Amino acid sequence: MNVLPEWELLAPSSVDEVRAARAHHPGSRFLGGGTDLVVNLRRGIGDPPATLIDLNRVADLKGIEVAGEWIRIGAGVTIRELAQDPRVRASFPGLAAAAGSIAGPTHRNMGTVGGNLCLDTRCIYYNQSEWWRAANRYCLKYGGDICHVAPKSRICYATFSGDLAPALAVLDDAQIEIAGAQGARTLPLDSLYTGDGERYLALEPDELVVAVRARRPPALRTGYDKVRVRQSIDYPLAGVAAGVVREGDRLADLRLAFTGTNPRPLRLAGTEDLCGGALDDAVMERLSGLVRRQVMAMRTTFTSGHYRRHAAGVLARRLVRRLFDTT
Amino acid sequence: MIRLLTFRLNGRERTDAVADNVLLLDHLRESVGLTGTKTGCDGGECGACTVLVDGAPVLSCLTLAATVADRSVETVESLAEEGRLAFIQEGFHRKLGSQCGYCTPGLIMASEALLRRDPDPTEDAIRDALGSNICRCTGYVKIVEAVRWAAEAAAAGRAGATRSAAP
Amino acid sequence: MSATASSTDERHQDAMPARVRTIGGYVPLVDGPDKVSGRARYTADLPAAAGALAGRILRSPWGHAAIRSVDTSEAEALPGVRAVVTGADCDRTFGVLPIAMHEYPLARDRVRYRGEAIAAVAADDDATAERALALIRVEAEELPAYYRAEDAIAPGAIDLHEKRPGNVERDVEYELGDVDAALAGADLVREKTYRCAEVCQAQMEMHAALADYDPERGRLTVHASTQVPYYVHLMLARCLDMERSRIRVVKPHIGGGFGCRTETLHVELVCALLARRAGGAVRLVTTREETFITHRGRPEQTVRLKMGLRRDGRITGVECESVQRGGAYSGYGIVTILYSGSLLYAIYDLEHVRYRGRRVLTNTPPCGAMRGHGTVNVRFAFEALLDEMAAELGLDPFAVRRANLIDPPAVTPNDLLVNSYGLPECLDRVERASGWRERRGRLPAGRGLGMACSHYVSGASKPVHWTGEPHATVHIKLDFDGSVVILTGAPEIGQGSSTVLVQCVTEVLGVDPGRIRIVASDSEVTPKDNGAYSSRVTVMVGNAAIEAAERLLDTLTRAAARELEVEPGDVEVLGEVYRAGSQDRGLTFDEVAAAALRESGTITVKGNFSTPAEAQGGKKYRGATVGSTTGYSYAAQVVEVRVDEETGQVTVERVWVAHDCGKALNRLAVEGQVQGSVWMGMGQAMSEETGYADGLLSAPNLLDYRVPSIADSPPIDVQIVESNDPLGPFGAKEAGEGSLAGFLPALTSAVADAIDLRMDELPVTPDRVWRALERRRREAERAARTARRGAANGGASGAARQASGTPRGAPAPPRPTEAETGTGAGSGAGSASASEGDSIRPHASSRTAGDERSNFRSNGPDSDSGPGSDSGPGSGSPARAGGRRTKGRSA
Repeated sequence: MNVLPEWELLAPSSVDEVRAARAHHPGSRFLGGGTDLVVNLRRGIGDPPATLIDLNRVADLKGIEVAGEWIRIGAGVTIRELAQDPRVRASFPGLAAAAGSIAGPTHRNMGTVGGNLCLDTRCIYYNQSEWWRAANRYCLKYGGDICHVAPKSRICYATFSGDLAPALAVLDDAQIEIAGAQGARTLPLDSLYTGDGERYLALEPDELVVAVRARRPPALRTGYDKVRVRQSIDYPLAGVAAGVVREGDRLADLRLAFTGTNPRPLRLAGTEDLCGGALDDAVMERLSGLVRRQVMAMRTTFTSGHYRRHAAGVLARRLVRRLFDTT
Repeated sequence: MIRLLTFRLNGRERTDAVADNVLLLDHLRESVGLTGTKTGCDGGECGACTVLVDGAPVLSCLTLAATVADRSVETVESLAEEGRLAFIQEGFHRKLGSQCGYCTPGLIMASEALLRRDPDPTEDAIRDALGSNICRCTGYVKIVEAVRWAAEAAAAGRAGATRSAAP
Repeated sequence: MSATASSTDERHQDAMPARVRTIGGYVPLVDGPDKVSGRARYTADLPAAAGALAGRILRSPWGHAAIRSVDTSEAEALPGVRAVVTGADCDRTFGVLPIAMHEYPLARDRVRYRGEAIAAVAADDDATAERALALIRVEAEELPAYYRAEDAIAPGAIDLHEKRPGNVERDVEYELGDVDAALAGADLVREKTYRCAEVCQAQMEMHAALADYDPERGRLTVHASTQVPYYVHLMLARCLDMERSRIRVVKPHIGGGFGCRTETLHVELVCALLARRAGGAVRLVTTREETFITHRGRPEQTVRLKMGLRRDGRITGVECESVQRGGAYSGYGIVTILYSGSLLYAIYDLEHVRYRGRRVLTNTPPCGAMRGHGTVNVRFAFEALLDEMAAELGLDPFAVRRANLIDPPAVTPNDLLVNSYGLPECLDRVERASGWRERRGRLPAGRGLGMACSHYVSGASKPVHWTGEPHATVHIKLDFDGSVVILTGAPEIGQGSSTVLVQCVTEVLGVDPGRIRIVASDSEVTPKDNGAYSSRVTVMVGNAAIEAAERLLDTLTRAAARELEVEPGDVEVLGEVYRAGSQDRGLTFDEVAAAALRESGTITVKGNFSTPAEAQGGKKYRGATVGSTTGYSYAAQVVEVRVDEETGQVTVERVWVAHDCGKALNRLAVEGQVQGSVWMGMGQAMSEETGYADGLLSAPNLLDYRVPSIADSPPIDVQIVESNDPLGPFGAKEAGEGSLAGFLPALTSAVADAIDLRMDELPVTPDRVWRALERRRREAERAARTARRGAANGGASGAARQASGTPRGAPAPPRPTEAETGTGAGSGAGSASASEGDSIRPHASSRTAGDERSNFRSNGPDSDSGPGSDSGPGSGSPARAGGRRTKGRSA
C-alpha cells in the first residue's frame, strides 16, 4: 500500500470554479493526467499540497479548435487526442509528431497538453525518492542548497523535457491563455518559462493554464524529432522542433526549438541570419554553431550533456534538411 | 479526507469509502480485493497496473481513486465470461505471452483496449499500443503473437465458428 | 501452490486411447489460466495479507559507516506501531556459501552500502510504519567508502570485512596447460580490455514477504518471493535461532527471478523478525527502489583478454584477467568469479588457459547470480576478441568457430564433461536462417550482421549447501480419486518448471494430463528442493519426476497384472487403459488405481536424482567444481543492426538464434525461454546500467534503468537444436540461460560490420557509440598528422595500425573529461565541470542533528584514523595443472 500525503481533492467543473477553488486554497496543486505530478508526489517531491484540484472534469479546458491558420488547444486535451486529431496531423504535423512521441501510449492517454507544457524540470538528483534525496543532502531545486550537477552554481540546471513546447514555439504567435484570480491574461509561450530549473514557470500562484494557441503561416513546414535511449517510456535526451519556409531553392524562414537540453524549451536565436539563400553546407555549419552556443545540456540525465548537445545539432540539421527537401 | 466513491467496477456499480490520497491501484487491490492488477514500480514506469477507465487504458498507480467517481473501471478480472477465458486471455495463455505472469494483467488490459478500437491490428499497431508496458520475461515476441491470436480467434468467433475452432 | 494441468487437445477417444504424449509439443503452461485471469496470487496478493501488519525498512544513507547507536524509543511509542527491530535483535549472519556468510538481516556495527537495512517497523498500516521510521534516530561515524573496485583494492584502503583483507573476496588464479608456449605458437596474438556495466534483474515483481508467527505454538510461516525456499528456510532457522521443524516456507506465484532471488534476501528475514516480535502476521512489500537496492545483479566487470589464433582459425591459448565489483557482501561472489574462469571452457576445444579473477568488495549493493551467472561478460569479451581477430586474419566468423569445435564426448582440461554438443548444428542453422552467406557484407551502409556463440550449465553439479542428499527428490501421490499429484519443492518462477514436471510424469504414465496436479514449494507438503537456479530444474527435478513416475507406473502395472491375471510384462499400458492384449477390453486407470490402492492404501512414490560423479568437475584448482554440470546447452546467434553514425543510435532489426537444449520437452516454453534470454542479453548490451552517484543508485527505477520496451525489441527467430543428452530427462538440457551471453558480442560484431567500430564497453548506448566514433576520428586525425610528420622526416610509423582500430594491447582508452556547460562559445569555462563517469563527489557529512528532515546523524570520515591495510590481494602462486586433453578434433 503506497503512502501519499493527505490532501483534499476538489473536482470543479468549470474554469471559474477552478479559480474560486484556487483562491480558497492557496497551497493547492492542479491535477491533470497525473503522469508528472502524482509520480512526484509519490516520491515526496515538492511540499505536500493540502488540496489537489482535479482538472479532468473541467469542460472548458477541453477541445481543439482549428480555424484557418490558428489552432487553440485546451489545457485538458490529452496528448493522445492531440496526436490523433486529423486536423492537427494535417496542418500541424510537427505538433502531432511531438505529441505522438511522448512517453508511451497509456501515458499519452492520461497526460494532458497543459501538463506537458508545465512539466516539471528533471534531474537525476531530483527525480528520486525522499530517502535518496535526503541521503544526498537534497539539492537546489528542492530542499537543499547545492546543485549536484554544478556545485558552484546558484541556479538550478534541471532540464525541461516537454515535447509540446518546442513544437509550438516554432509556430507564430504561440500564446498561453491563463486564468487567475484577477481574470484572464495571455502570455507569449516563450515567457512562460524562466530559464531557472527551480522556478521554471512564470506563473503566479493563483494562475492556471487554460489553453495554448498558435498560428502556422501556410508556407511553414513543421516537424519534430528526438533522440532517446528507448523508443517508449523515455524522456528525450534531446528533442528538436523545426519550422521551415522554402521559396524556390531559397531558405526563406527557419525556426528551431529544443527540449531535453536546457532548463527551458529553447527557441534557437539567430536562425533568421541563415535565411535568404540556399540551404548549403555553409548554412548547416552556421546552424551547428548556433546550436553549440545555445544548447546547454548539463549532466542532469544518465547520458552526458556533451552527447545531448551533439545529438540536438544532428537532429536539427537533419530535420531542417528533410523539411526543406519535402515537396 | 474520506469520501463515498460511487463508480462502476467490472460492470457493477459500487460505493466505497475512500480517502482522497488513495491510488486507484491500492483501492482495487487492498480495499476491493481485486489483486489481479499489479504494482510493479514506484509510479508510471512499467504498466503492470493498467486498467481501463471508460474503456481507455490508464495507469492505476498514477490515478487517484477519488477521480473515477461515476466512471467505469475495468480490471483483468472482468474479462472472463462465465468462467471461460476471453480470447485475449486465451491468446496470452496459448501463445505463452505470459511467463511469470506479473506484467500480464496490465498487458492484457492494454491489449483489450487496442482490440476494442482495432479488432484486426497489425504487428506495428500492437507494438504501438503496448509501449507503456514492460515485460521482463518474454522479449515481447510471443506477446505480439498472443494479441494476433486473439484477434484472429475473435474474428473466427464473429464469423460463427465455435471457440474451439479458433486457431 | 497447486495448479491443475489443463487438458491438451489430445484427449483420448473411444475406449482404446493412445498414451498421451506431450513431450516435444507446444504445451501452454499449467498455471497459465491463473496468470491470464488475474487469479494467480503473488506474495503481496495473498488473502492472509489482508489482516497483516505493514512492515517497512529504514535504510542507511551512508556508504560506509560505523553505527554508534540506534534509538527506536520514539518510534516504539507511536500509536499503531506493533514492532520495531534493529541489528540488536539478530546477531546471526546469513549468506550463500558457508564460508562467506557476513551479512546481517539488519546492520549491526557497520553499514557497508547506501541503502543497507538498519531497522524495521511493523505497524497497523503503512502510513504509521512510515511515520515510525522517521522517528528512529541513528548515529554513526562515516568511514571511507569505495564505490569502485580499483579504489577498494588500492593501497591504504580500509577493509570492509575483517576476514577479507584488502577487500578481495576471492582471488582465483590458475593456469592449465602452457599458455606462453601456446601464444608463441599463434599467428596472431591480440589483447584487449572489455568493460561491462553493472546490470540487474529488474524482475517485474518487487521483493515481498508475508511472515506469520504463532507464539502459542512457536511456529513461523513465511511466504516469500524467492527462487530458493529451501535456502530461505535454512537462513530463517539460522537468523531467528529457531528449529527448522518450527518453520514453514511457502513460495506463492513469483513475478520473475533471473537470479535476484537465488539467495535468501534480508526482506524475508526482516519480515520474520518483525512477525516474531509482533506475535502475528507482517507483510513487507518493498518499493521498486528498494528492490534495486537489494540488487544481486550482475557485477560491473573488467575483462582483459589475450588470445592466440592460427591462420587456420584454431585458438592456441587464452589468458584472461578479470575484476568484478562485487558490492558490500559476499553473496555468490566466489562462485561468480569462478564461473567466469571455468566456463571459458566447454564451448570450444580449448587447452591452454591462464585465468586470474578477482572479486572485490565495495561499498555498493551486493551483486548476485544473475541469469548466465558469471559467464556473460567473459563470453562477451571472448567472442568479441575472437571476432575481431578472425577479421584481422580474413577468416569468416562462422569458420573460426567451426575450427575450434569439441568432439564429444569429451572432458575439458578443467574436468568438465561434454557429453552432447549441438553447437555445430546451431552454427549451421543460424547461418542458414539469417542468410549469412548471401547477406553478410552486402547490406546497405550502416547495417551489419554479427554472430557469436554461448553456452551454459544445466544445473550446477554441486549445490552450495552440500548435504550429501540427492540433488532432487519428487513425490507422486495417487489416491482414491484417481488423481496423480506431483509434490515438488522446485519453485515455479514463471520459467515453466511445473509444466515440464507435469509433462515428464504424463509422458511416463501416458494418462490424460487433466488428472495430474502439481503442488510446488510448500515445505509442509513438498519434498525439499534446492531451488530454481543454474537452470537445474528441468534436468535434475525432471529426472527425479521421471523416476517417481516410473515407480508409479510399475506399481500400477503390477496391480493391473494381478487383476488381469497375467504377468506384469504382458500388460500393455495405454495411459488411461491397461490391457493384456489387443483383444482385451482392459481396465481403466481408475480401476487399476483402485486395485493398487487395495494393496497398499494411498500410494506415494518417490524419485531421486543425483549428478553422476563424472559430471561433478575436478580438483585441479580450488573451486574447480564450479562450472560442472550434466550437460551444457549451446547457442549460436546472428544479430542484424542498423547504426546511425551521427547520433550513435543502434537499432536491432532482427535476431536469429539456434539453441541446443538437448531435447525440447516443451517447444513453446523453450522458444519463450530462448527469446527471453536473448532479449535480456539485448537489454544489457543496449541500454541497461545501474550507475551510481556517490554510491547512491542513480537509476533505481524502471524509467532510468532502461529495460527495453516493446518498441525497442526485435523479432527473435528461434531454431531448436536437439542433441539428446544422455543424462538429461528424455535428452533435455537447459533452455533459459545459454543464449543470453551470445547476444552481447553478436551485437558488437554487428556494429563493427555496420560501421567498422569495435565497441568494447557495454551498454552500447548512443552516447557511448558517439564517444567511440569521436575517439576514432581523433585517432585518425592524430595518425594522419603523425604520418605527415613521419613522411616529412622520411620515416615510417605505426600510424596505419593505430588507425585500424585494432591497437595491440590497447590500454583503457582515456575517458574524456567533459565540461558540460555550453553557455558560451568556448564552453567548458562555466561553473560546472562534471567529468564523464565521475558524477561521484564525496561529501563530508550528513545533515546536522538539528535538521528535522533527517533521522540520521554522523561524523564525517576521519581521514587520519582509518585502520588502513596495506596488504594487497591475497597472493600465492597460481595453481598449475596439466589439464587432461580435450578430445578435440584437431588436438
